[in-house]
Order: sequence, then structure tokens, then C-alpha cells
Amino acid sequence: MSATFTGATRRYTGTLGEVLLRNTVLIAAAVVFVAFSLASSKFASGSNLRNIAIQGSGSAVMAVGMTFVIITAGIDLSIGAILFLSTAGVAELFVHGLPVVWAPLVAVLFGLGLGALNGASIAFVGINPLIVTLATLNLYRGVGGHLTGFSTVYLPPGMTKFGTGTVASIPAPIVVAAVVALVGGVVLRRTVFGRHVQAIGANAEAARNLGLPVRRVLVGVYAISGLTAAFAGLIENGRLGALQPTVGLGEELTVITAVVLGGTSLFGGKGSILGSLFGVALLQMVANGLVLAHISPYVFDMLRASVLIVAVLIGTSRARGLRAVPIVRRGRLEVGP
Amino acid sequence: MLGKHIRLMLIATAAGALAVAVIAAGSAGAKPSATPTIGVSFDLLNQIRKAELTGIKQYAAKKHVKILFSVANNDANQQSQQIQNFISQHVTGVIAIAQNGDQIVSSIRAANRAGIPFATIDRAPGKGGKVVAQVTGNALGDGSKVANYMCSLRKPLNVLLMVGALTDANAIGRRDGFLSAAKSCSSIKVVQQLPTNWDPTTALNGVTNAFQAHPEIDAIFDPSDYLLPAVVSALKATQHFYPVGNAKHVTIVTIDGDNNGCYALRTKWIDADVATQVGEFGPSAIDAILANKAAKVVKVPGLTLSQQNYKATHSSVWGCAYGPNGFKK
Repeated sequence: MSATFTGATRRYTGTLGEVLLRNTVLIAAAVVFVAFSLASSKFASGSNLRNIAIQGSGSAVMAVGMTFVIITAGIDLSIGAILFLSTAGVAELFVHGLPVVWAPLVAVLFGLGLGALNGASIAFVGINPLIVTLATLNLYRGVGGHLTGFSTVYLPPGMTKFGTGTVASIPAPIVVAAVVALVGGVVLRRTVFGRHVQAIGANAEAARNLGLPVRRVLVGVYAISGLTAAFAGLIENGRLGALQPTVGLGEELTVITAVVLGGTSLFGGKGSILGSLFGVALLQMVANGLVLAHISPYVFDMLRASVLIVAVLIGTSRARGLRAVPIVRRGRLEVGP
Repeated sequence: MLGKHIRLMLIATAAGALAVAVIAAGSAGAKPSATPTIGVSFDLLNQIRKAELTGIKQYAAKKHVKILFSVANNDANQQSQQIQNFISQHVTGVIAIAQNGDQIVSSIRAANRAGIPFATIDRAPGKGGKVVAQVTGNALGDGSKVANYMCSLRKPLNVLLMVGALTDANAIGRRDGFLSAAKSCSSIKVVQQLPTNWDPTTALNGVTNAFQAHPEIDAIFDPSDYLLPAVVSALKATQHFYPVGNAKHVTIVTIDGDNNGCYALRTKWIDADVATQVGEFGPSAIDAILANKAAKVVKVPGLTLSQQNYKATHSSVWGCAYGPNGFKK
């Protein structure tokens, strides 16, 4: 396809620029994959790719929730704390006699409730999402610390199945991540709720004027984010076999980076679950490849920071570049965001 | 609407003024009391900090010293304010575990200006202020004890060397101490260094990846008991988890001597744990504050607790007083 432009907006007239802009995360993932495959013969092995998938599952699940949040032009900094508190709450109930079979369901309900509390504060009280979730980040981690006494709590086998079990020989974390991503994708693309989410992110005021239930949708979006954080807690704490007070600390930044790398605009209105999954895969490949390729430990943080900077640059250039790229979609000409 | 805002502003202003007046009156009225009072500021409160606090409280009771305690919840600014509050109350001295070694220097200087002796424990401060004591574990010494223990096993070991945070002096000291002692032991070969940032998930993923790259790894230096659950989970995930005594057992030596480490020794998950004797930090700091003499640096050596000496030595290790989930036995 060759697009034609006139006037000052002509910046990307060929297909290459457009393709690069629309698939940056895929291209970056491919480059990283090839580079680490050349650096280490074990990187592209089946067992290592399985490792990468397992290790990225928790972040992938949270990235699904975060994609919804960022599409509404919001942010959720509390997901790492919800990951911790949802499992801590269940561990406390377990000590008081909760049957272990109920533990995952209760943890997920905890997460849903904590996320909905964030959403209600944002939608009904009108506080900025950054402030609300920054506050609840500290609140939730503090409550979790109080419940566990900031000690390591070893989890009973029934609570570790999401991290260490298998479903038809496929590791449970991968299955959970796949199911959550599939459901998330369907909700975002195929439901009225999903279309409301995108409309609110594109222009909240216009959505309100059109009579969309903006507040209810926002509460729903943050509840989804809390829910996915709780699922991630079941995966990550299950893999560890124990609940530790620093688990999930700073994980929100990794997840936000992955979502932005995957093409979701920090300004809201556009994004995709698939893109976010590729973003997680890219970051996980970097973390894994650095160990396999014997890169100096001192380079680890520099490379991770570089990926973050590249993510921001990509996001900015994409927003600028695609603004001028026409998209032929459903038989009509639209102007890209 | 405007009237309502003005009323709110007036109420807030009046409340603020009242609070300032109360604080000012309290501060002006505060005088050094007859009973020595030491302000203790911790960066956070976890199992090891509780043991350090117990050591301080027990020794303070013996010396008839009153303790004021605050926790900064990993926030260096909050810690600075808490120490400023101690200084305003004219305490006899301040003991702090710095959240950030460099940022605490301004608090040390403020105490110096007020003539209040300041001691740091567990984590060394940056350069600038004067402390009467700096009491820490011996990171280099503990790291070398780990290497010496592995060397004493008299078998070739391909070691995965885990490192804490690369910005943490304790993490670097433990690693460097290990590497230095390992140089003189021909049976130790370090096949991989792995930064963990003291994060259990990073450690779990890293150890799993390291076994992918080096299936020949048969020994792990874990720089903190806190990361033990991650190490054990990674070994289980890669089918390398066998207890001590099994021919396929991966040798594991850790540092800290907390409840995780003691539990892992009891259940034969690990071979040895170099226990930091945190109970000795507080007494040294209190003595230095009460004496208020020239600065001294105390490096408390670690105590090696192994499968061989567990029965005879475990009662001297602070973490062995706790169950695996951190509850007092």
C-alpha cells in the first residue's frame, strides 16, 4: 500500500516508515531474539523459551489490566502492592482456618475489591489516578506488611499450584496468562464495555456528553487491574513457594514499560493486549538473555534503563509520526492517532 | 461557594497555627531528662530489624536507658524528619540504621551541631558527619567465610555467585570477600555472577536462567537468607533440589542467620549459614553514645552455622529463635 499525502503533514509516504512505526515492538523483539541467539546457543532452545514464558507470565497478566487502565489515560501504580496484599490477606485467613481450596478465589476477590477502591476514588471523588494509586501503593503494602509482620510466609501446596502446577503438561503460569490475555482481548475489542474504555480514553469529556457511564467504566477498569494483579500474585508467590514482603516491589514500572513498548498510548484512547504481551516478551527476553550471554552484572541496569528510554522515544515518535499516516480501515480513510 | 472555601481555608489555617504553637511550646519546654534517652531510627521493620531492636532494648534496660523508637518505612526523607524530632527533644543520643548511607549524613551533621552523639548500625553512613560509633557486620569477612566453608568441603565446586544490589555496600562486600578468599582455593570455580537487587522474583528467575546456561553448577553462594525461598524454588523448578547428603545435592551457603536460614539448615536444604550477630550491634552503639568519645568502627564477625555444628551452635544464632514463618517459637 502506498499512501499519498498533501501539505505539511506529509512525513511518511512509503510503506516502510509506516510498517516500522506500527510494529516497533515486534521488530525490537525480533532483533533482541536474534542478538541473544547469536550470543548464546542455549537462548533459542525450547526449554529456555519455556522459561521465558513462565517468568513473564506474572507481568503479562498484569499488563492486560494495565492496558485497560492506560487506554483510559490513567495509571495504576498500586499493582505490585495488590499482588502482595491479596496473597497476604489470604495467608492471614488461611492461618485462621480458611480452607486452602478457597484461597485462590478469595485472593482474586481481594484484588478485585482493592482495584475497585482505587477506581471509586478516581471516578467518584475525582482524585488524580497517579495520586490515588501512589497512596494506595503505600497503604496496601503497609497493610500487607502488618498482616505478615514483614516476615517470609511459606505457602501451603494448595496455594502454589498457579505457579508450579501444569495443565495438560503446559505450565500453569502460561495457561493463566493465556486465558487472562484472551479474555482481556475479547473484552477490549468485542464488548460494549471495551468500546466505552477506548472512547473514554480518546476523549473523556465527549464520552460524558454522549451519556456513556464514565464513572462506572473507570471503576471497572481499575477493578480489572486489581484482579489481574491478584492473579499475578497467585502466579509469582506460587512460583516462589512463599510470600515475601518485597514481592512485586517496583513491578508496576516493568509492566507500564511493557505496555508502552507494546504501543498503548500514555495519553489514552489506543492500545492492544497483544502489543502489551509483546512488550512483556521483549523485557523478559532481555532479562533472560543477559544472564545466558554472560553480560557483566554492571550492564544489567544500564540495559534495562536503555529499554525504558527507547520505549518512551518509540511512544513519542509513534504518536508524532502516525498522526500523519492515513489508515484504510473498514473501507474508509481515517487519520491515525 | 466562595464563602465555603474561605471558611475551609480559615479553619485549616487556624488548625495549622495551633499545631505549630503546640509543637513550639513542646520543643521549648523539652529539656534533657535525668534518665538517658536514646532515639532509635530504623529504615524498616523486618525479622532482622526486630532482632536488632531486641538487642538494643535488652541492653538499654540493663543500662537504665530509655528508648524512643521510629521506623522510616524505606523513606530517607521520613527518616530525616524522625531524627530531627529526636534532636528537638534533646535526646542523649541517636542510633540509626540508614535508609540511605549518603542521605543520612545531613541528619548526622544536625545532631553534631546540637551536640548529640550519633551512632549508626548495620549500614555505614557516607562521608561528612561525625559518628561516635559505626557498628556493622563484617561483609568482607562474612563473604570470605562462605568461600572458606566451601573450600573446606574439599571437592571441586562450580559456583553460582549471587549478588544483592550492586549499589549496596553489604552486597558488594560479601561478593568481594568471597571472590578474594576463593582465589586461594583451587577447588572453587565461579561460573556465573548474578545480580538480584535483593528481589526474590529476580533471584528466582536469575537462578533458573543460570542453570539453563550452566547445568554444571553444583554450588550456590546466596548472599542473604531472604533469597532462600527463591533459590529453593528455582532448584525445584530445574530438578536440582536434593537435600544435604544426597549425591546430587547442590551445595548452598548463605549469610544472615535469620529464621529462613535456620529453618533451611534444620530441614537440610542448605549446608551452612554465616550468621550476622545482630544482637551485638545495639550494645556497642549504646556504650559509645554513653561514653561519647572519639569515633570507633566496630565490625562484628559472622558466626558460621553448619550442618556439622548446628546442634551446638544454633542457640547463638538469632534467627533460630523463630519458626519458619517468623513467629517466635
